[in-house]
Amino acid sequence: MDTSDDIQRPSAPSSEVTDSRPPKKPKFANNKPADTSMEDISESKREVLTLFTSYRDSLDAHHDQRERVIKCSRDITALSKKIVFSLLRITQESSPETVFNDAEKKHKQVLDLFRKISVELQGSNSLKYNRQATPGLQEYIEAIGLWTFLQNNVLITKDQVLERLSVPNADGVLTPLVSVTDEDYILGISDLPGEVNRYCINAIGKGDHEAVRRCLMFLRQMKEGINLLMCSGKVRDLDKKVAVLDSSLEKTERAYYSMSIRDSEMSTQSASRSMAIDA
Amino acid sequence: MDVQVFVDLQDKLDQESTLREDIKNAINELYKTCRLASAKLAKAHAVPKSQTQEVTDAIKPQFETLRQNISTLAGLIQPVTFYKYHDMWTNAIQSAGSLVVFAIYLESARLATPDDIQAYLGYRVNTENANITEFVITLEEYLNAIVSLFNELSRLAVNAVIVNDIQRPQEISTFASELYAGFQLLNLKNDNLRRRFDSIKYDIKKIEEVQYDLRVRGLIA
Repeated sequence: MDTSDDIQRPSAPSSEVTDSRPPKKPKFANNKPADTSMEDISESKREVLTLFTSYRDSLDAHHDQRERVIKCSRDITALSKKIVFSLLRITQESSPETVFNDAEKKHKQVLDLFRKISVELQGSNSLKYNRQATPGLQEYIEAIGLWTFLQNNVLITKDQVLERLSVPNADGVLTPLVSVTDEDYILGISDLPGEVNRYCINAIGKGDHEAVRRCLMFLRQMKEGINLLMCSGKVRDLDKKVAVLDSSLEKTERAYYSMSIRDSEMSTQSASRSMAIDA
Repeated sequence: MDVQVFVDLQDKLDQESTLREDIKNAINELYKTCRLASAKLAKAHAVPKSQTQEVTDAIKPQFETLRQNISTLAGLIQPVTFYKYHDMWTNAIQSAGSLVVFAIYLESARLATPDDIQAYLGYRVNTENANITEFVITLEEYLNAIVSLFNELSRLAVNAVIVNDIQRPQEISTFASELYAGFQLLNLKNDNLRRRFDSIKYDIKKIEEVQYDLRVRGLIA
Protein backbone atom coordinates (compact mmCIF):
# COMPACT_ATOMS: atom_id res chain seq x y z
CA MET A 1 0.00 0.00 0.00
CA ASP A 2 2.71 2.45 1.05
CA THR A 3 4.94 1.45 -1.79
CA SER A 4 2.38 1.99 -4.46
CA ASP A 5 1.77 5.47 -3.04
CA ASP A 6 5.42 6.05 -3.48
CA ILE A 7 5.38 5.20 -7.11
CA GLN A 8 2.40 7.31 -7.98
CA ARG A 9 4.20 10.41 -6.80
CA PRO A 10 7.83 9.55 -6.55
CA SER A 11 9.50 12.95 -6.53
CA ALA A 12 7.44 15.47 -4.58
CA PRO A 13 6.38 14.33 -1.12
CA SER A 14 9.66 13.13 0.30
CA SER A 15 9.15 14.92 3.65
CA GLU A 16 5.88 13.34 4.67
CA VAL A 17 6.86 9.82 3.67
CA THR A 18 10.31 9.80 5.26
CA ASP A 19 8.63 10.24 8.65
CA SER A 20 6.59 7.07 8.34
CA ARG A 21 9.33 4.73 7.10
CA PRO A 22 12.72 6.31 6.72
CA PRO A 23 14.77 3.25 5.70
CA LYS A 24 12.62 2.25 2.74
CA LYS A 25 12.30 5.54 0.95
CA PRO A 26 16.02 6.32 0.55
CA LYS A 27 16.58 2.82 -0.79
CA PHE A 28 13.99 3.27 -3.46
CA ALA A 29 15.26 6.71 -4.36
CA ASN A 30 18.87 5.56 -4.44
CA ASN A 31 18.27 2.47 -6.42
CA LYS A 32 17.71 4.09 -9.80
CA PRO A 33 20.62 6.51 -9.99
CA ALA A 34 22.99 3.98 -8.44
CA ASP A 35 23.02 1.94 -11.67
CA THR A 36 24.33 4.80 -13.70
CA SER A 37 26.45 6.66 -11.17
CA MET A 38 30.13 6.63 -12.00
CA GLU A 39 31.60 6.18 -8.54
CA ASP A 40 29.93 2.85 -8.05
CA ILE A 41 31.08 0.81 -11.06
CA SER A 42 31.31 -2.77 -9.95
CA GLU A 43 34.26 -4.97 -10.76
CA SER A 44 32.18 -7.13 -13.10
CA LYS A 45 30.88 -4.12 -14.97
CA ARG A 46 34.38 -2.74 -15.43
CA GLU A 47 35.48 -6.08 -16.85
CA VAL A 48 32.61 -6.11 -19.33
CA LEU A 49 33.34 -2.56 -20.40
CA THR A 50 37.03 -3.29 -20.93
CA LEU A 51 36.26 -6.37 -23.00
CA PHE A 52 33.70 -4.61 -25.14
CA THR A 53 36.00 -1.64 -25.72
CA SER A 54 38.51 -4.00 -27.29
CA TYR A 55 35.74 -5.65 -29.32
CA ARG A 56 34.67 -2.24 -30.51
CA ASP A 57 38.18 -1.54 -31.73
CA SER A 58 38.31 -4.79 -33.71
CA LEU A 59 34.88 -4.24 -35.19
CA ASP A 60 35.75 -0.67 -36.14
CA ALA A 61 38.97 -1.82 -37.79
CA HIS A 62 36.99 -4.40 -39.76
CA HIS A 63 34.33 -1.92 -40.88
CA ASP A 64 36.96 0.65 -41.87
CA GLN A 65 38.88 -1.88 -43.90
CA ARG A 66 35.66 -2.98 -45.58
CA GLU A 67 34.87 0.64 -46.46
CA ARG A 68 38.32 1.15 -47.96
CA VAL A 69 37.89 -1.94 -50.14
CA ILE A 70 34.46 -0.74 -51.30
CA LYS A 71 35.79 2.71 -52.20
CA CYS A 72 38.80 1.39 -54.04
CA SER A 73 36.70 -1.19 -55.86
CA ARG A 74 34.39 1.59 -56.98
CA ASP A 75 37.34 3.59 -58.32
CA ILE A 76 38.56 0.54 -60.21
CA THR A 77 35.09 0.12 -61.70
CA ALA A 78 35.00 3.73 -62.87
CA LEU A 79 38.42 3.61 -64.47
CA SER A 80 37.76 0.23 -66.08
CA LYS A 81 34.60 1.64 -67.62
CA LYS A 82 36.73 4.42 -69.10
CA ILE A 83 39.02 1.81 -70.62
CA VAL A 84 36.00 0.08 -72.15
CA PHE A 85 34.80 3.35 -73.67
CA SER A 86 38.26 4.13 -75.03
CA LEU A 87 38.41 0.69 -76.62
CA LEU A 88 34.98 1.04 -78.19
CA ARG A 89 36.21 4.15 -79.98
CA ILE A 90 38.30 1.78 -82.08
CA THR A 91 35.80 1.93 -84.94
CA GLN A 92 36.15 5.74 -85.04
CA GLU A 93 39.93 5.87 -85.08
CA SER A 94 42.10 5.50 -88.12
CA SER A 95 44.54 3.18 -86.40
CA PRO A 96 43.77 0.73 -83.58
CA GLU A 97 47.18 1.49 -82.11
CA THR A 98 46.08 4.94 -80.88
CA VAL A 99 43.19 3.30 -79.03
CA PHE A 100 45.39 0.66 -77.45
CA ASN A 101 47.96 3.26 -76.43
CA ASP A 102 45.27 5.33 -74.75
CA ALA A 103 43.97 2.23 -72.98
CA GLU A 104 47.49 1.35 -71.90
CA LYS A 105 47.83 4.74 -70.18
CA LYS A 106 44.60 4.20 -68.28
CA HIS A 107 45.66 0.66 -67.47
CA LYS A 108 48.69 2.04 -65.61
CA GLN A 109 46.33 4.10 -63.45
CA VAL A 110 44.19 1.05 -62.72
CA LEU A 111 47.27 -0.83 -61.62
CA ASP A 112 47.95 1.96 -59.13
CA LEU A 113 44.48 1.41 -57.70
CA PHE A 114 45.12 -2.31 -57.53
CA ARG A 115 48.33 -1.58 -55.63
CA LYS A 116 46.22 0.33 -53.13
CA ILE A 117 43.54 -2.33 -52.76
CA SER A 118 46.07 -5.17 -52.54
CA VAL A 119 47.16 -3.85 -49.14
CA GLU A 120 43.67 -4.62 -47.83
CA LEU A 121 43.42 -8.00 -49.48
CA GLN A 122 46.38 -9.88 -48.04
CA GLY A 123 46.03 -13.46 -46.83
CA SER A 124 42.61 -14.46 -45.57
CA ASN A 125 41.34 -10.92 -46.14
CA SER A 126 41.38 -11.64 -49.85
CA LEU A 127 38.27 -13.81 -49.56
CA LYS A 128 36.90 -12.03 -46.53
CA TYR A 129 36.43 -8.84 -48.53
CA ASN A 130 35.88 -10.57 -51.87
CA ARG A 131 32.27 -9.50 -51.99
CA GLN A 132 33.32 -5.86 -51.69
CA ALA A 133 36.26 -6.18 -54.09
CA THR A 134 34.62 -8.28 -56.78
CA PRO A 135 32.59 -5.56 -58.60
CA GLY A 136 35.75 -3.63 -59.45
CA LEU A 137 37.65 -6.77 -60.34
CA GLN A 138 34.85 -7.95 -62.64
CA GLU A 139 34.71 -4.63 -64.41
CA TYR A 140 38.48 -4.75 -64.86
CA ILE A 141 38.31 -8.27 -66.31
CA GLU A 142 35.61 -7.08 -68.67
CA ALA A 143 37.80 -4.19 -69.83
CA ILE A 144 40.93 -6.23 -70.49
CA GLY A 145 38.76 -9.01 -71.89
CA LEU A 146 37.37 -6.64 -74.50
CA TRP A 147 40.90 -5.46 -75.19
CA THR A 148 42.12 -9.01 -75.77
CA PHE A 149 39.14 -9.75 -77.99
CA LEU A 150 39.75 -6.66 -80.14
CA GLN A 151 43.45 -7.37 -80.37
CA ASN A 152 43.54 -11.13 -80.87
CA ASN A 153 39.94 -12.20 -81.35
CA VAL A 154 40.15 -14.65 -78.42
CA LEU A 155 38.66 -14.95 -74.96
CA ILE A 156 41.04 -13.83 -72.24
CA THR A 157 42.10 -16.64 -69.89
CA LYS A 158 42.33 -16.36 -66.14
CA ASP A 159 46.11 -16.69 -66.35
CA GLN A 160 46.23 -13.77 -68.74
CA VAL A 161 44.16 -11.71 -66.31
CA LEU A 162 46.62 -12.51 -63.53
CA GLU A 163 49.49 -11.64 -65.87
CA ARG A 164 48.05 -8.21 -66.57
CA LEU A 165 47.61 -7.69 -62.82
CA SER A 166 51.21 -8.59 -62.11
CA VAL A 167 53.94 -6.21 -61.06
CA PRO A 168 57.51 -7.02 -60.00
CA ASN A 169 57.77 -7.73 -56.29
CA ALA A 170 60.76 -6.94 -54.07
CA ASP A 171 62.81 -9.69 -55.74
CA GLY A 172 61.84 -8.54 -59.20
CA VAL A 173 59.57 -11.53 -59.77
CA LEU A 174 56.26 -10.73 -61.43
CA THR A 175 53.43 -11.41 -58.98
CA PRO A 176 49.72 -10.59 -59.22
CA LEU A 177 48.63 -7.70 -57.02
CA VAL A 178 45.41 -9.42 -56.05
CA SER A 179 44.12 -12.94 -56.36
CA VAL A 180 41.30 -13.68 -58.78
CA THR A 181 38.78 -16.38 -57.92
CA ASP A 182 37.08 -18.49 -60.58
CA GLU A 183 33.85 -16.67 -59.76
CA ASP A 184 35.46 -13.26 -60.30
CA TYR A 185 36.75 -14.48 -63.66
CA ILE A 186 33.48 -16.08 -64.78
CA LEU A 187 31.41 -13.06 -63.79
CA GLY A 188 33.95 -10.72 -65.38
CA ILE A 189 33.94 -12.42 -68.76
CA SER A 190 30.18 -12.84 -68.75
CA ASP A 191 29.96 -9.04 -68.89
CA LEU A 192 31.87 -9.13 -72.17
CA PRO A 193 28.94 -9.89 -74.54
CA GLY A 194 27.30 -6.51 -73.88
CA GLU A 195 30.45 -4.68 -74.93
CA VAL A 196 31.13 -6.98 -77.87
CA ASN A 197 27.60 -6.26 -79.07
CA ARG A 198 28.24 -2.50 -78.85
CA TYR A 199 31.42 -2.91 -80.85
CA CYS A 200 29.51 -5.01 -83.39
CA ILE A 201 26.85 -2.35 -83.91
CA ASN A 202 29.56 0.29 -84.42
CA ALA A 203 31.28 -2.02 -86.90
CA ILE A 204 28.07 -2.41 -88.90
CA GLY A 205 27.88 1.37 -89.13
CA LYS A 206 31.35 1.31 -90.62
CA GLY A 207 30.43 -1.54 -92.94
CA ASP A 208 33.12 -3.78 -91.45
CA HIS A 209 31.54 -7.14 -92.25
CA GLU A 210 34.49 -9.17 -91.07
CA ALA A 211 34.31 -7.60 -87.60
CA VAL A 212 30.57 -8.34 -87.36
CA ARG A 213 31.17 -11.96 -88.26
CA ARG A 214 33.93 -12.22 -85.63
CA CYS A 215 31.62 -10.77 -82.97
CA LEU A 216 28.87 -13.23 -83.77
CA MET A 217 31.25 -16.20 -83.64
CA PHE A 218 32.65 -14.99 -80.34
CA LEU A 219 29.26 -14.48 -78.75
CA ARG A 220 28.05 -17.90 -79.86
CA GLN A 221 31.07 -19.55 -78.31
CA MET A 222 30.62 -17.55 -75.12
CA LYS A 223 27.01 -18.70 -75.00
CA GLU A 224 28.04 -22.32 -75.44
CA GLY A 225 30.69 -22.00 -72.75
CA ILE A 226 28.54 -20.22 -70.21
CA ASN A 227 25.79 -22.79 -70.75
CA LEU A 228 28.28 -25.47 -69.74
CA LEU A 229 28.94 -23.58 -66.51
CA MET A 230 25.27 -23.15 -65.78
CA CYS A 231 24.95 -26.93 -65.64
CA SER A 232 27.44 -27.16 -62.78
CA GLY A 233 27.65 -25.41 -59.48
CA LYS A 234 25.93 -22.21 -58.62
CA VAL A 235 27.76 -18.97 -59.29
CA ARG A 236 26.13 -16.03 -57.61
CA ASP A 237 24.57 -13.50 -60.04
CA LEU A 238 25.49 -15.52 -63.12
CA ASP A 239 21.82 -15.92 -64.10
CA LYS A 240 21.36 -12.19 -64.55
CA LYS A 241 24.44 -11.97 -66.72
CA VAL A 242 23.28 -14.89 -68.84
CA ALA A 243 20.09 -12.97 -69.59
CA VAL A 244 22.21 -10.05 -70.83
CA LEU A 245 24.32 -12.46 -72.88
CA ASP A 246 21.22 -13.90 -74.52
CA SER A 247 19.88 -10.49 -75.46
CA SER A 248 23.29 -9.37 -76.76
CA LEU A 249 23.52 -12.47 -78.89
CA GLU A 250 20.02 -11.91 -80.24
CA LYS A 251 20.73 -8.26 -81.02
CA THR A 252 23.90 -9.21 -82.83
CA GLU A 253 22.14 -11.90 -84.84
CA ARG A 254 19.38 -9.43 -85.79
CA ALA A 255 21.96 -6.87 -86.83
CA TYR A 256 23.84 -9.43 -88.89
CA TYR A 257 20.54 -10.49 -90.45
CA SER A 258 19.58 -6.94 -91.47
CA MET A 259 23.04 -6.39 -92.83
CA SER A 260 22.83 -9.57 -94.92
CA ILE A 261 19.39 -8.62 -96.28
CA ARG A 262 20.54 -5.14 -97.16
CA ASP A 263 23.60 -6.52 -98.89
CA SER A 264 21.72 -9.03 -100.99
CA GLU A 265 19.12 -6.37 -101.79
CA MET A 266 21.86 -4.02 -102.91
CA SER A 267 23.57 -6.64 -105.00
CA THR A 268 20.28 -7.71 -106.72
CA GLN A 269 19.35 -4.06 -107.19
CA SER A 270 22.68 -3.18 -108.68
CA ALA A 271 22.51 -6.38 -110.74
CA SER A 272 19.05 -5.51 -112.12
CA ARG A 273 20.12 -1.93 -112.64
CA SER A 274 23.10 -3.07 -114.65
CA MET A 275 20.81 -5.44 -116.59
CA ALA A 276 18.45 -2.51 -117.28
CA ILE A 277 21.33 -0.46 -118.54
CA ASP A 278 22.45 -3.32 -120.73
CA ALA A 279 18.96 -3.57 -122.19
CA MET B 1 38.28 -19.23 -79.03
CA ASP B 2 38.61 -22.40 -77.07
CA VAL B 3 35.75 -23.98 -75.14
CA GLN B 4 38.36 -25.86 -73.11
CA VAL B 5 38.51 -22.86 -70.76
CA PHE B 6 34.90 -23.48 -69.85
CA VAL B 7 35.34 -27.24 -69.54
CA ASP B 8 38.14 -26.71 -67.01
CA LEU B 9 36.07 -24.19 -65.08
CA GLN B 10 33.17 -26.59 -65.09
CA ASP B 11 35.34 -29.27 -63.48
CA LYS B 12 36.33 -26.87 -60.75
CA LEU B 13 32.75 -25.81 -60.12
CA ASP B 14 31.72 -29.45 -59.90
CA GLN B 15 34.38 -30.15 -57.30
CA GLU B 16 33.22 -27.13 -55.41
CA SER B 17 29.61 -28.18 -55.29
CA THR B 18 30.68 -31.57 -53.93
CA LEU B 19 32.55 -29.77 -51.18
CA ARG B 20 29.53 -27.59 -50.48
CA GLU B 21 27.41 -30.71 -50.08
CA ASP B 22 29.89 -32.11 -47.55
CA ILE B 23 29.91 -28.84 -45.65
CA LYS B 24 26.13 -28.78 -45.62
CA ASN B 25 26.02 -32.28 -44.18
CA ALA B 26 28.50 -31.37 -41.47
CA ILE B 27 26.45 -28.29 -40.61
CA ASN B 28 23.26 -30.34 -40.40
CA GLU B 29 24.93 -32.62 -37.86
CA LEU B 30 25.98 -29.56 -35.91
CA TYR B 31 22.43 -28.22 -35.92
CA LYS B 32 21.09 -31.56 -34.74
CA THR B 33 23.39 -31.52 -31.73
CA CYS B 34 22.53 -27.90 -31.06
CA ARG B 35 18.81 -28.68 -30.99
CA LEU B 36 19.28 -31.58 -28.60
CA ALA B 37 21.54 -29.54 -26.33
CA SER B 38 19.18 -26.61 -26.45
CA ALA B 39 16.24 -28.80 -25.44
CA LYS B 40 18.20 -30.20 -22.52
CA LEU B 41 19.46 -26.83 -21.42
CA ALA B 42 15.96 -25.34 -21.52
CA LYS B 43 15.17 -27.43 -18.43
CA ALA B 44 17.13 -24.86 -16.47
CA HIS B 45 14.10 -22.60 -16.81
CA ALA B 46 11.91 -25.02 -14.92
CA VAL B 47 14.08 -25.71 -11.89
CA PRO B 48 15.26 -23.61 -8.96
CA LYS B 49 18.77 -22.25 -9.04
CA SER B 50 19.97 -24.96 -6.67
CA GLN B 51 19.25 -27.60 -9.30
CA THR B 52 20.71 -25.94 -12.38
CA GLN B 53 23.99 -27.74 -11.79
CA GLU B 54 22.27 -31.01 -12.67
CA VAL B 55 20.98 -29.49 -15.89
CA THR B 56 24.36 -28.18 -16.97
CA ASP B 57 26.04 -31.46 -16.02
CA ALA B 58 23.55 -33.39 -18.12
CA ILE B 59 24.46 -31.40 -21.22
CA LYS B 60 28.21 -32.15 -21.06
CA PRO B 61 28.02 -35.05 -23.55
CA GLN B 62 26.35 -32.74 -26.08
CA PHE B 63 29.17 -30.26 -25.75
CA GLU B 64 31.55 -33.11 -26.48
CA THR B 65 29.54 -33.93 -29.63
CA LEU B 66 29.41 -30.26 -30.59
CA ARG B 67 33.16 -30.09 -30.43
CA GLN B 68 33.43 -33.14 -32.67
CA ASN B 69 30.86 -31.74 -35.13
CA ILE B 70 32.76 -28.49 -35.43
CA SER B 71 36.04 -30.30 -35.83
CA THR B 72 34.53 -32.37 -38.68
CA LEU B 73 33.35 -29.16 -40.31
CA ALA B 74 36.71 -27.48 -39.81
CA GLY B 75 38.42 -30.50 -41.35
CA LEU B 76 36.61 -29.83 -44.63
CA ILE B 77 37.80 -26.25 -44.88
CA GLN B 78 41.18 -25.23 -46.21
CA PRO B 79 42.16 -22.22 -44.09
CA VAL B 80 42.66 -20.08 -47.23
CA THR B 81 39.08 -20.70 -48.33
CA PHE B 82 37.64 -20.11 -44.86
CA TYR B 83 35.80 -16.92 -45.79
CA LYS B 84 34.56 -18.33 -49.08
CA TYR B 85 32.24 -20.75 -47.30
CA HIS B 86 31.96 -18.94 -43.97
CA ASP B 87 28.39 -17.77 -44.60
CA MET B 88 27.27 -21.38 -44.72
CA TRP B 89 28.02 -22.20 -41.11
CA THR B 90 27.99 -18.87 -39.33
CA ASN B 91 24.44 -19.34 -37.97
CA ALA B 92 25.20 -22.85 -36.76
CA ILE B 93 28.31 -21.67 -34.93
CA GLN B 94 26.29 -18.87 -33.37
CA SER B 95 23.79 -21.40 -32.05
CA ALA B 96 26.57 -23.53 -30.64
CA GLY B 97 28.15 -20.44 -29.10
CA SER B 98 24.92 -19.30 -27.50
CA LEU B 99 24.59 -22.69 -25.81
CA VAL B 100 28.03 -22.26 -24.28
CA VAL B 101 27.24 -18.73 -23.19
CA PHE B 102 23.98 -19.78 -21.53
CA ALA B 103 25.51 -22.85 -19.88
CA ILE B 104 28.32 -20.78 -18.41
CA TYR B 105 25.90 -18.19 -17.12
CA LEU B 106 23.87 -20.93 -15.44
CA GLU B 107 26.96 -22.48 -13.91
CA SER B 108 28.70 -19.41 -12.61
CA ALA B 109 26.55 -16.34 -13.32
CA ARG B 110 29.18 -14.72 -15.49
CA LEU B 111 29.78 -13.90 -19.11
CA ALA B 112 31.51 -16.58 -21.17
CA THR B 113 34.86 -15.27 -22.38
CA PRO B 114 36.43 -16.08 -25.73
CA ASP B 115 38.63 -18.52 -23.81
CA ASP B 116 35.53 -20.33 -22.54
CA ILE B 117 34.24 -20.62 -26.08
CA GLN B 118 37.52 -22.10 -27.18
CA ALA B 119 37.52 -24.53 -24.26
CA TYR B 120 33.99 -25.71 -25.08
CA LEU B 121 33.99 -25.65 -28.87
CA GLY B 122 37.65 -26.31 -29.56
CA TYR B 123 38.38 -23.30 -31.75
CA ARG B 124 39.75 -19.86 -31.02
CA VAL B 125 37.61 -16.74 -31.19
CA ASN B 126 39.28 -14.26 -33.53
CA THR B 127 38.70 -11.27 -31.25
CA GLU B 128 41.44 -9.17 -32.82
CA ASN B 129 39.89 -9.68 -36.25
CA ALA B 130 43.33 -10.72 -37.46
CA ASN B 131 44.34 -12.52 -40.62
CA ILE B 132 43.68 -16.20 -40.08
CA THR B 133 45.59 -19.37 -40.90
CA GLU B 134 43.21 -21.83 -39.26
CA PHE B 135 39.51 -22.39 -38.62
CA VAL B 136 38.27 -19.78 -36.16
CA ILE B 137 35.09 -18.54 -34.55
CA THR B 138 34.63 -14.93 -35.59
CA LEU B 139 34.12 -12.03 -33.23
CA GLU B 140 30.69 -11.41 -34.75
CA GLU B 141 29.68 -14.99 -34.06
CA TYR B 142 30.77 -14.64 -30.44
CA LEU B 143 28.87 -11.37 -30.03
CA ASN B 144 25.78 -12.83 -31.67
CA ALA B 145 25.97 -15.76 -29.28
CA ILE B 146 25.95 -13.31 -26.38
CA VAL B 147 22.91 -11.47 -27.75
CA SER B 148 20.98 -14.74 -27.52
CA LEU B 149 21.70 -14.80 -23.81
CA PHE B 150 19.49 -11.75 -23.20
CA ASN B 151 16.53 -13.68 -24.46
CA GLU B 152 17.25 -16.56 -22.12
CA LEU B 153 17.77 -14.15 -19.23
CA SER B 154 14.41 -12.48 -19.67
CA ARG B 155 12.77 -15.87 -19.65
CA LEU B 156 14.81 -16.94 -16.67
CA ALA B 157 13.73 -13.88 -14.69
CA VAL B 158 10.08 -14.81 -15.15
CA ASN B 159 10.69 -18.47 -14.42
CA ALA B 160 12.70 -17.73 -11.29
CA VAL B 161 9.59 -16.13 -9.82
CA ILE B 162 7.56 -19.18 -10.79
CA VAL B 163 9.87 -21.42 -8.75
CA ASN B 164 9.67 -18.91 -5.92
CA ASP B 165 13.14 -17.46 -6.21
CA ILE B 166 12.40 -13.76 -5.94
CA GLN B 167 16.01 -12.69 -5.42
CA ARG B 168 17.19 -14.05 -8.74
CA PRO B 169 15.54 -11.47 -11.01
CA GLN B 170 17.60 -8.83 -9.23
CA GLU B 171 20.83 -10.71 -10.00
CA ILE B 172 19.73 -11.23 -13.58
CA SER B 173 18.86 -7.59 -13.99
CA THR B 174 22.22 -6.37 -12.73
CA PHE B 175 24.05 -8.83 -14.95
CA ALA B 176 21.97 -7.99 -18.01
CA SER B 177 22.28 -4.25 -17.63
CA GLU B 178 26.05 -4.48 -17.19
CA LEU B 179 26.27 -6.58 -20.32
CA TYR B 180 23.98 -4.25 -22.21
CA ALA B 181 26.23 -1.33 -21.27
CA GLY B 182 29.03 -3.27 -22.90
CA PHE B 183 27.08 -3.73 -26.11
CA GLN B 184 26.28 -0.05 -26.20
CA LEU B 185 29.99 0.64 -26.59
CA LEU B 186 30.00 -1.03 -30.00
CA ASN B 187 29.67 0.97 -33.21
CA LEU B 188 27.44 -1.32 -35.16
CA LYS B 189 26.75 -1.18 -38.86
CA ASN B 190 23.38 -1.88 -40.29
CA ASP B 191 23.89 -5.63 -40.23
CA ASN B 192 22.52 -8.70 -38.57
CA LEU B 193 24.29 -8.02 -35.30
CA ARG B 194 22.79 -4.54 -35.23
CA ARG B 195 19.26 -5.85 -35.70
CA ARG B 196 19.71 -8.37 -32.94
CA PHE B 197 21.30 -5.74 -30.71
CA ASP B 198 18.20 -3.59 -31.20
CA SER B 199 16.07 -6.38 -29.77
CA ILE B 200 18.05 -6.52 -26.51
CA LYS B 201 16.14 -3.60 -25.04
CA TYR B 202 12.90 -5.58 -25.11
CA ASP B 203 14.52 -8.35 -23.09
CA ILE B 204 15.87 -5.79 -20.64
CA LYS B 205 12.40 -4.32 -20.35
CA LYS B 206 10.90 -7.72 -19.55
CA ILE B 207 13.45 -8.28 -16.82
CA GLU B 208 12.72 -4.85 -15.37
CA GLU B 209 9.02 -5.54 -15.42
CA VAL B 210 9.54 -8.64 -13.30
CA GLN B 211 11.46 -6.57 -10.79
CA TYR B 212 8.79 -3.93 -10.84
CA ASP B 213 6.09 -6.48 -10.12
CA LEU B 214 8.02 -7.84 -7.19
CA ARG B 215 8.90 -4.46 -5.79
CA VAL B 216 5.50 -2.94 -6.17
CA ARG B 217 4.14 -5.71 -3.99
CA GLY B 218 6.88 -5.18 -1.45
CA LEU B 219 8.31 -8.64 -2.11
CA ILE B 220 11.80 -7.32 -2.63
CA ALA B 221 13.44 -4.21 -1.30
